[in-house]
Parts: sequence; C-alpha cells; structure tokens
Amino acid sequence: MITAGIDVGALTAKAVVLDFDTGRPLGRCLMPTGASPEQAGETALAGALEDAGLEADAIQASVATGYGRGAVQGVDWRITEISCHARGAWHLMPEARTVIDLGGQDAKAICLDEAGWPLDFEMNDRCAAGTGRFLEVMAAALDVQLEELGELAASANSAAALSSTCTVFAESEVISLLAENRDVAEIAAGLCETIAQRTMQMTNRLQVRPELVLCGGVALNAGVHRAMERALGMKIVVPPEPQLVGALGAAILAGERAG
Amino acid sequence: MEVGLTSTIPVEIILAAGHTPVDLNNIFVVSPQAAQLVRDAEAAGYPRNACSWVKGIYSTILQHDINTVVVVTQGDCSQMQAMIETLADHDIRFIPFAYPYDRDRAQVKEQMRRLIEALDSDWDAAVAVQERLRPLRAKIARLDEMTWREGTVTGYENHLYQVSCSDFTGDVERFEAEVDGLLQEAFGRTPRSYRARVGFVGVPPIYCNLYQCLEELGLHVAFNEIQRQFTMAPALECDLLTQYQCYTYPYDIFARLEDIATETANRKLEGIIHYVQSFCFRQIYDHILREALDCPVLALEGDRPGGLTGRDKLRLEAFAETLEARR
Repeated sequence: MITAGIDVGALTAKAVVLDFDTGRPLGRCLMPTGASPEQAGETALAGALEDAGLEADAIQASVATGYGRGAVQGVDWRITEISCHARGAWHLMPEARTVIDLGGQDAKAICLDEAGWPLDFEMNDRCAAGTGRFLEVMAAALDVQLEELGELAASANSAAALSSTCTVFAESEVISLLAENRDVAEIAAGLCETIAQRTMQMTNRLQVRPELVLCGGVALNAGVHRAMERALGMKIVVPPEPQLVGALGAAILAGERAG
Repeated sequence: MEVGLTSTIPVEIILAAGHTPVDLNNIFVVSPQAAQLVRDAEAAGYPRNACSWVKGIYSTILQHDINTVVVVTQGDCSQMQAMIETLADHDIRFIPFAYPYDRDRAQVKEQMRRLIEALDSDWDAAVAVQERLRPLRAKIARLDEMTWREGTVTGYENHLYQVSCSDFTGDVERFEAEVDGLLQEAFGRTPRSYRARVGFVGVPPIYCNLYQCLEELGLHVAFNEIQRQFTMAPALECDLLTQYQCYTYPYDIFARLEDIATETANRKLEGIIHYVQSFCFRQIYDHILREALDCPVLALEGDRPGGLTGRDKLRLEAFAETLEARR
C-alpha cells in the first residue's frame, strides 16, 4: 500500500510518500510553508509524489499533521504532531522511548511505550523560546547563516551566559553582548545552552528514558545537539532527515488506519 | 442586599441574614463583556501580569454597583486582598474572611463568627439554612454521580451546577427548580460513548468553551475537583463548621491530593487536566500533582476570558490521542 504523510508546520511543510508494506520512503519534499497552509500541503505532497515518480492516484491512504493539518484538503485523517512524531521516531528507531521534536515554533517531548505509542508528552506553551524561530531570530541578530550557527557554537571555548529565554528579550541581550565585543562563537554557544535548558524545563516534567531521539529542524544544529546531551546527561540520536519524522509518522499512521 | 464574594465562603451565613450572595467570579466569567472588564481594570492601573480573575472581579464590582464584598484574604489568592484595597475610595464595605492554613477548628469557627457578626446574621439561623440546603446539595451530588457513574449528565452540565453552588445563583428556589429539571431530563437520556474519561482539577477555567471542546474531542469529564468541593457534597452529613473544615480548596495541597487520588481511582479516570491560571501561585502545584498521580497529567494554562487558543486545542487533541493509545 502506498501512503502519504503531510506535515504542515509553522515554518516548513513536509511530505513523505511511503511504501507502507516495506516501510521504505519513496519520495519526500520539504519547503517553506508561506502564508497558505492549504497550498503548502498540496505543493509538498506534489513534490513528494514527483520525487517518488508517482501520480496522485497512487496514494491509498493519507494523514495530515502539523499546525496546518486542518487546512490540508483531500486527506483521510488529521492527527496531531505528537502522535505522528512518536510513530515516525519509533519506526526509525524501535528502541526509542523518548522523542524531542524542536520545530519551527513548537518544542515537544514525548515518552513512548514499547509499541511506539505516546505515554505522555509536554509542549511549549505561549512561547517560541527553544524553537527554530528562536534560532532564526538569533542568527539574524548575529549576522550569520542559520546553518552556520551550530558549528560556530562548537568552535567556542566558553558559552556566553544569557539570562532570558524569551525570543524578544534574548535578541536584545545578544545585541548588548555584541556591543560589548563578546565573541560571536561564545554567544552562539550560549544560545545553544539556552535552548538545551529550555528543553530541560519540558523534559523535567516527564520520565525521560533512553533511547532518546531528537528530531525537527533544530536537530540539525550540532551545537544544540551537544548542549542537550550535556544537559540531559545521555546520548541523543538524531536520525537522518530529522525534519521529516512527523511526515513519516503521518504516512505510517495512514497505513495503520487504512488497515 | 447583594453581598459579593470573591471565593466560596459559608454562604449559609449570608442567606441566614436575608441577603443575596453573588459570586463575583461567576458573573464576571459569563459576562459577554468579560474581556473588556479585564481591559478596564488594566486601564485603571492593574498590571499585565496580574490574574485576569482579579482584574475581572475588580471591574465587576464597579459595574454591578456592589457595596458589600466578602473577600477571602487567606486560602484563595493574595491578589484579591490588593484588589479590594484598590477600591478603598469607592465606598465599598469589605469583610475579610481568612481560612487558616492548618484548618484549625477554633480559627475556622472564629472566622465564621466574625462573618455572622459583620452581616448581623445568626449561627442557629445559618444552621437552619444548612439544613434547607442539604437536600439541594444532595441533588447536585446525584448529578455528579450521573456524570461519572451513568454518563447521562455531561461534564459541562456537572461543572455548571457544581460551580454555581458558591451562591446558588442568588436564588436557591429557582436554582433547585433548574436542578430538578435537569435531573428529570437526564434520567431519560442514553449514556454517550467517549474516547477516554478525564478529570478536571484546579480552579474553574476562565475559558468559555473548554468543556464543549473536550466533549467534541470525545473526552468525558467525569470529575470536577474544585467545583465538586464548592458543592460541599463530600461533607454532606457534617455540621456547619466541619463542612467548611472538610472543604479542601483553601487549605494545603495534601487534602486535595488525597481527594483527587481517591476520585481518580473511584471514577476510573484515564487522565487529568490540570487547569492553571496565568500568574497564579497554584501553578507550582502542578509539580506536586504529577509526582502524586499515576496517570497522564496535562497542564492547561488560561490567561484571559474567551475561547481556547489554537495551541490549547492542539494540546488537548494530542492528549486525547495519547489517552486513546493507552487503552
């Protein structure tokens, strides 16, 4: 059975076309969400189908997830990103018992049972600190490319202390540190530490057990990855294409529901 | 005379004095202008990071021209004390009522005696009102039972009638007639099916559509913790003083935990929604609750009156999926 998962996030829309029987992704697409979640979902699915070399009628079951899931037309089910990330991470790593997803504006931590179902979860609430948006704003303040931020942080000898986790206040703090001629790499390292500490506030409410999988776009930032391993005191696995875990989980759940 | 109250107090004393109790929380939160009432308080100088309930009650007192207010100065919220003090220039009579942290019997009695004195009420008359209210409180307890045991009363209906027991909407007879009507109607209903049974703990929500949203998600609210405490149902057979000693809300968290744990087991709750109000000290209790309870707990934070935000709905939907997956 060929299934599709469409994850329309705050910053990016992702789609995965899956051969459900073998568990092998056939096509994928990642693109900016833009102003229309409906259009983004449609375009992302079209991109994944093209990548798979398939036509739309090949899809036998589909699930939309992400904040824009309600806007995506023509899908069979809509499921929250909590369930989809849990399923996707467990599919990639059946030993996973904790999943942390750091997305564009969401941060979530999910505890899984042995069968990959969510036991408990926590999400950030009313604050974008610790998310991709936070890093995006900070990279702009430091005048570096978002992709460079992780390696820049890794090159620092120490991390600058940032007292605020609020995106707005942290940005003005970064500007103040730059005015004091603090090393940019140290500020970048401080930002990664801030994200790790913020994530810890979420995971402290849960029973975090290994294996721990980190996904979402922020997982690509090596500085955050390392800072989180230090903060949590355990090894964290980042799967290949961590931004696609939610869409993959959606495609798997589509197959499971279609039975 | 209308007597405003900022939290549940021995309402029997107000009724025994021939006055009309008005729970300011209830008239604020159901007001179509609830959000404006909060903004009005902010325009008067209230800070952004003060509780919206406090701001709403401040404006409600002024809007409804309420001249006598019983303010719970201990056991509810210290912001209420500051709130009533900001009304010092408005010729409003302020009667403090303080629940002692250790629920000391003599101190609770002294607080009730002072309230009787302040309102020119009478202990024996208050006891007579308690006797009058006992069958009504029993009917509310029956509605609760029909919610969790039989599933014929919705979580919202149960919430609505329980939360109204702080003042019986100011008219005991009319309120009882409404309760009788609902009981009669609910007896003929078929129980609904649902995805999971949840408990609602913490202060009543400032959101207007929380219960409706939970019902749409297939979550049956089979326990309203604090609202049930307002009904005094757990102390139905007790004397008046003991009734307000058994009331868990204004004292320490530990009696609340015992109540929540007992009811979670009795009512076979699969998850708990812990509602917390922005800028409220009770948010800290979330940590203790999670440690004590053996089921998933979702903390839901509300700030201003109105509907749930998109993020709140997402978190509730994910919680429903999690509970369903655990079945």
